[in-house]
Amino acid sequence: MFSRRQLLQSVSAGFGYLAFAGMSSAEEQAASNPLASKSPHFPARAKRVIFLCMQGGPSHVDTFDYKPQLTKDHGKSGKYGGSLLKSPWEFQQHGESGLWISDLFPNVASHADELTLIRSMQCDQPVHPGAMTQMHTGTAQFIRPSLGAWTLYGLGTENESLPGFVSLSPPAGSSRNYGSSFLPAIYGGSKVGSGGPSARFARGGSGESVPDIKNPRLDESQQRKQLDLIQSLNREKMRRDRFQPDVEGVIESYELAFRMQDAMPELMDTSKESASTLALYGADGGPTENFGKQCLLARRFVEAGVRFVEVTHGNWDQHANLSNDHQARADACDQPIAGLLQDLKQRDMLKDTLVIWGGEFGRTPAAQGGDGRNHNNKGYTTWMAGGGVKGGFSYGATDEHGYEAVENKCHIHDWHATILHLLGLDHTELTYRYAGRDFRLTDVHGNVMTDILA
Amino acid sequence: MTYFRFASLIHFARCAVVLCAVNLGTVILCPVTVHADPLTPDELKFFEINIRPVLVKECYGCHSNNAGNVRGGLRLDTKELTHIGGSRGPAIVPGDLDGSLLYNAITHQDFVMPPKRKLPDNVIEDFRKWIEMGAPDPRETDIAEIQTTITDDDIKMAREKFWAYKKPIQADPPAVANADWPRTDIDRFILSKLERSELRPAEDAEAFKVLRRLCFDLVGLPPTPEQIEDFAQQWKVSPDRAIEALVDQMLAKTQFGERWGRHWLDVARYAESTGREVNVTYPHAWRYRDYVIDSFNADKPFDQFVQEQIAGDLLPAKTDEDWSENLVATTFLAMGPKNVNEANRVQFAADVIDEQIDATTRVFLGMSVACARCHDHKFDAIPQTDYYALAGVFRNMTTYFGNPPSEFGTFATAQAKRTSSLIRLPIDDPNPFDKRYSSQELAALKKQIVDTQNAAAGDRRQAMAFGDQQALIRNRLRSQNELSQLSAKLAVVDENGNPHSYCMGVQEQSPPQNARLLVRGEIDQAAQIIERGFPKVLCSTPVNIDSSKSGRLDFARWIGSEENPLTARVMVNRVWQHLMGQGIVASTENFGVTGQAPSHPELLDYLAVRFIDSGWSVKSLVRDIATSRVYRMESTFNERNHEYDPDNALVWRGNPRRLDAEAIRDAMLFVSGEIEFEKPRGSEVAKAGYSIVRDGVLGDPRETIRRTRESAGQGMREAMAQRMRSGGRPDGGPVGGGFALGGFRGRPMAGGMSMSSPQDLFRKIQSQLDMEDATFRSVYLPIVRDEVPRSLEVFDFADASSIIGTRESSNTANQALYMMNNPFVIRQSDSFAQRIAKESKRPADQLEYAFVLAYGRPPNSVERTATASFWRSFASSSQHSNGEALSALCQSLFASAEFRLID
Repeated sequence: MFSRRQLLQSVSAGFGYLAFAGMSSAEEQAASNPLASKSPHFPARAKRVIFLCMQGGPSHVDTFDYKPQLTKDHGKSGKYGGSLLKSPWEFQQHGESGLWISDLFPNVASHADELTLIRSMQCDQPVHPGAMTQMHTGTAQFIRPSLGAWTLYGLGTENESLPGFVSLSPPAGSSRNYGSSFLPAIYGGSKVGSGGPSARFARGGSGESVPDIKNPRLDESQQRKQLDLIQSLNREKMRRDRFQPDVEGVIESYELAFRMQDAMPELMDTSKESASTLALYGADGGPTENFGKQCLLARRFVEAGVRFVEVTHGNWDQHANLSNDHQARADACDQPIAGLLQDLKQRDMLKDTLVIWGGEFGRTPAAQGGDGRNHNNKGYTTWMAGGGVKGGFSYGATDEHGYEAVENKCHIHDWHATILHLLGLDHTELTYRYAGRDFRLTDVHGNVMTDILA
Repeated sequence: MTYFRFASLIHFARCAVVLCAVNLGTVILCPVTVHADPLTPDELKFFEINIRPVLVKECYGCHSNNAGNVRGGLRLDTKELTHIGGSRGPAIVPGDLDGSLLYNAITHQDFVMPPKRKLPDNVIEDFRKWIEMGAPDPRETDIAEIQTTITDDDIKMAREKFWAYKKPIQADPPAVANADWPRTDIDRFILSKLERSELRPAEDAEAFKVLRRLCFDLVGLPPTPEQIEDFAQQWKVSPDRAIEALVDQMLAKTQFGERWGRHWLDVARYAESTGREVNVTYPHAWRYRDYVIDSFNADKPFDQFVQEQIAGDLLPAKTDEDWSENLVATTFLAMGPKNVNEANRVQFAADVIDEQIDATTRVFLGMSVACARCHDHKFDAIPQTDYYALAGVFRNMTTYFGNPPSEFGTFATAQAKRTSSLIRLPIDDPNPFDKRYSSQELAALKKQIVDTQNAAAGDRRQAMAFGDQQALIRNRLRSQNELSQLSAKLAVVDENGNPHSYCMGVQEQSPPQNARLLVRGEIDQAAQIIERGFPKVLCSTPVNIDSSKSGRLDFARWIGSEENPLTARVMVNRVWQHLMGQGIVASTENFGVTGQAPSHPELLDYLAVRFIDSGWSVKSLVRDIATSRVYRMESTFNERNHEYDPDNALVWRGNPRRLDAEAIRDAMLFVSGEIEFEKPRGSEVAKAGYSIVRDGVLGDPRETIRRTRESAGQGMREAMAQRMRSGGRPDGGPVGGGFALGGFRGRPMAGGMSMSSPQDLFRKIQSQLDMEDATFRSVYLPIVRDEVPRSLEVFDFADASSIIGTRESSNTANQALYMMNNPFVIRQSDSFAQRIAKESKRPADQLEYAFVLAYGRPPNSVERTATASFWRSFASSSQHSNGEALSALCQSLFASAEFRLID
């Protein structure tokens, strides 16, 4: 891995300089470009990741963790108080594997034989911000690089004209969850969409995709000349300051932005997708339109070589109105997710694309106010598909009602270790030296769940 | 107190606001309350014979806790549960047939219950009578008693042991070995710790860097060339005196309040809309923004500032102006994010109180009491009972955040179910954009309302006659939306059509009521009554709240005093952070057990006590820190120190910082010479009035088009006029050599699009809230939740729905795109280019002037070479004019890292 100093040198004198001076060749850039594709520690099963982040905490006992005993004990007192609430939805067995999945996700269920359900998830944080941050960075206590940033640091990316890590429509105030922390800024996630009136993209087919993506006055060569000036001013500041992560970040951001101007509009323009593709994702209207469009974009991004794409689907926090609102959330994402799996499969990309689905925690089997459930970080379900995981497989288990993981517990550190493993990275080896100490995503924890590897 | 009382108080506060005369000879809004009397034997009999058996037989099967079936979340087991209702709203509202969904359902209007048949007419008639007589109901909920697991001993222990709960004590500044270095006591505290770790403090930064720091930190703007020269002269004589003089100068500027007021607006989660699912505007929130700015400029004692925001409505006021100011201050409590789409008004009321408690405790005390809504605080010694003691303090007020009712009442809509009124100000100071109506217009408006109501009634009769359920609902939604809009217009003017003056805020209700503890925070799980009180862990002596008072005024006075250990510490820590780059307590809004411990506890206490002793003067505090030696340290990297203390917790150097979004935008405007310092009155949201924000568009898009067309016409006329003034030359300026200007056509629109093209109009509407054409300071841009202007959002503006003491600071490709391509940036670059072209004809002088304006220093040789090389390659191959080339150069100065960083 690079040391910080090597990186700084490469940025200030190598990759940047070559690009500006117009004397670059692909080989020269690859040698010094921090985003250049790198070999993993060992042969990887997954080359890229799509993380479907279900913000708010979808209820495992209403989706992917079938609990017949909860139905039987409906109305009885739960072990931590409150009365147990049976799921308002029926569960069915699906596929040849016979995985139990609820009627909330009928379309995802049709891909049951591609899924590994991890039914024994645990994290340390009972509240949203903390749990979201731990899910993304391993810790809620300190500001640390996110999973996507570590991935990009470890593997680089395959398309330098696009950010290597994209977060589609992340919730407001969550930039820490896709940030790079002490890793070089270039490894941080780029936010695409949401946040502010001019940044919408999920509506309307074509048109301006990313705000300010085109200069209204200068052509590309003129702008390149302007950018060369900006970068020489930046490099001059870098030289004076010696160590200045902010300047380094600015330099990187301009190079990426310049290249994005060409690549992004085409990539974001879904108007040429066929009607059947749009329908496959539910991106052609109705409640699925927004998330469908984002799942479609996620596929287009990974296809174009982006290493890590995160798509957020929010508002799963049903303390009340579970039966209506969980249904509405699922209705908006079930078809898009199924469409994504289907599309990846038909493009022969599912085999090396790891699709991850999960929220920051699950929900309690006991009722809150009759038609709601509280947060539950002691046991919940996430799933993975493609990219080297078994299909039609269920790993781990919660207790009879779904309160806590009791079998093959998968702490968030184990989850991270496994994701890195699937990408060909050893989580104990993927380290970064900062302030005299080696840091890693899993700190001193993490066990790879070898049982789920295909 | 019964639950019913709580519910009806809230209800009446919301709907039945009437005008009543109060002191000072003016009129404001205050709520009417009702009292729940014990049931009479007749009422009891009526319920037991006519109502209970029907409920048991017809409803309990699907809507009862006991039956274990609660379809739609509706439980009819007890009076409270019936009043709370299900996901669609209350089943019974005593005395209100229209509001009682149970009646709606049994008469088969919007709902149909029982599902398969209609109840006999006489039964329906019984329910009508029962609701109209006030729905007397003896079915009380069993009250549980919840024991807290945090004992008095635990609390006492925490109070004695945990640093933040102990009162600050002023320690003597420590002795230091390097006695020549310190200028102030602050320096002694910092140096002493550095010496103990054998670290040396960094050298003083160069004069221009210190000046740039001071200017941005105090007023949020870069220094002018004249200031730079003056300061350099004085610095040569005495750096100490140069800084002191400049600090005093900056503190006296009105831009100080705009800078520091904005820091406060971050923590106060200032915004001009509700946010959440249905985003409804707060057209009067701007008054609070101006109140905050004025308070910082006046150096209002911070304790008073605190008290006004929590209980301004209860503070004595000498004049109507003072009283108005106090009322506007309470906007703090009213402007939080709200889910106005919430069907259940009891839930909504509980959520509003919760948000108020959360904001008040985190903003002023740096602790999160709201964690204890559902259970004892997991980490801090705050039992659940403390939360409900505070809820008792906050529940005895009505929160005004909506629009007043007209003579026709208030109309809730399917989206904005929770409506609210406003507070009339005792002075005449209407929203600047409010329309005046002639008597004809007024009459026409009223007629329109009556016609709409009549038409709606007609539609309703027809749809009911045909049994057309869909049409019934559709018509109702449409007419409610229309009526809501019409009524909102009528409501804000007097009988002569002149606009009233309103603000958001709170008003006290009486007599005060305690709150019940809610098990797991659930509104239908009421437990024992909790006496009103304050968080015990912060009270060294128990507080006594007068039984005739809510205690809110006492709470405000207690928070704004040295009686609690946190207020002063939390504020001095924030001021320290804004000047030094990071707080002494890094978790600025969390001084609890899970927060970070202070890096310099003695310094924190020293500053807190000094702050109190100064009469809570924020300006004195800023002066203290800005004139310290610590403040002027250079930010140069030092490998050894970095290895030892990578986070600079010991403050061995100045923290390099990125400017925040406002300072970046304002600096561009300032350097380009376009900045308009006159404060705009109101805001874009006030202009749009009370409405729902959809897809980033405020109010009626047709109105926006009309206004845009008008202002476009204006802009074109101005451009024409300018061309005429410059002798009709198409390029409007002298042509010189080198960098001189020669190509501006009036004020070019980015992309050369004509203003009235459909794409441009579309862009204008889509980006209405971006306000790319505005040249006033950023603090006056509209802050609609989740729709923040791009110029702010792109540089990590504080999420307006959260309490943000520390903003994020990122470097993204998105920011690079903004600086490279955004029309606002390009326009400012054009103006910047014009400014330097006007200053000098010589390229070298132009360049030097540009660097001084943008960075506070002349270019060095490397930079001169780079610019010359740019000029050669850009101008030679360009079809662009010299003016545009110079603009591209100026834009590069804006875009570079140095412009947005302070060293």
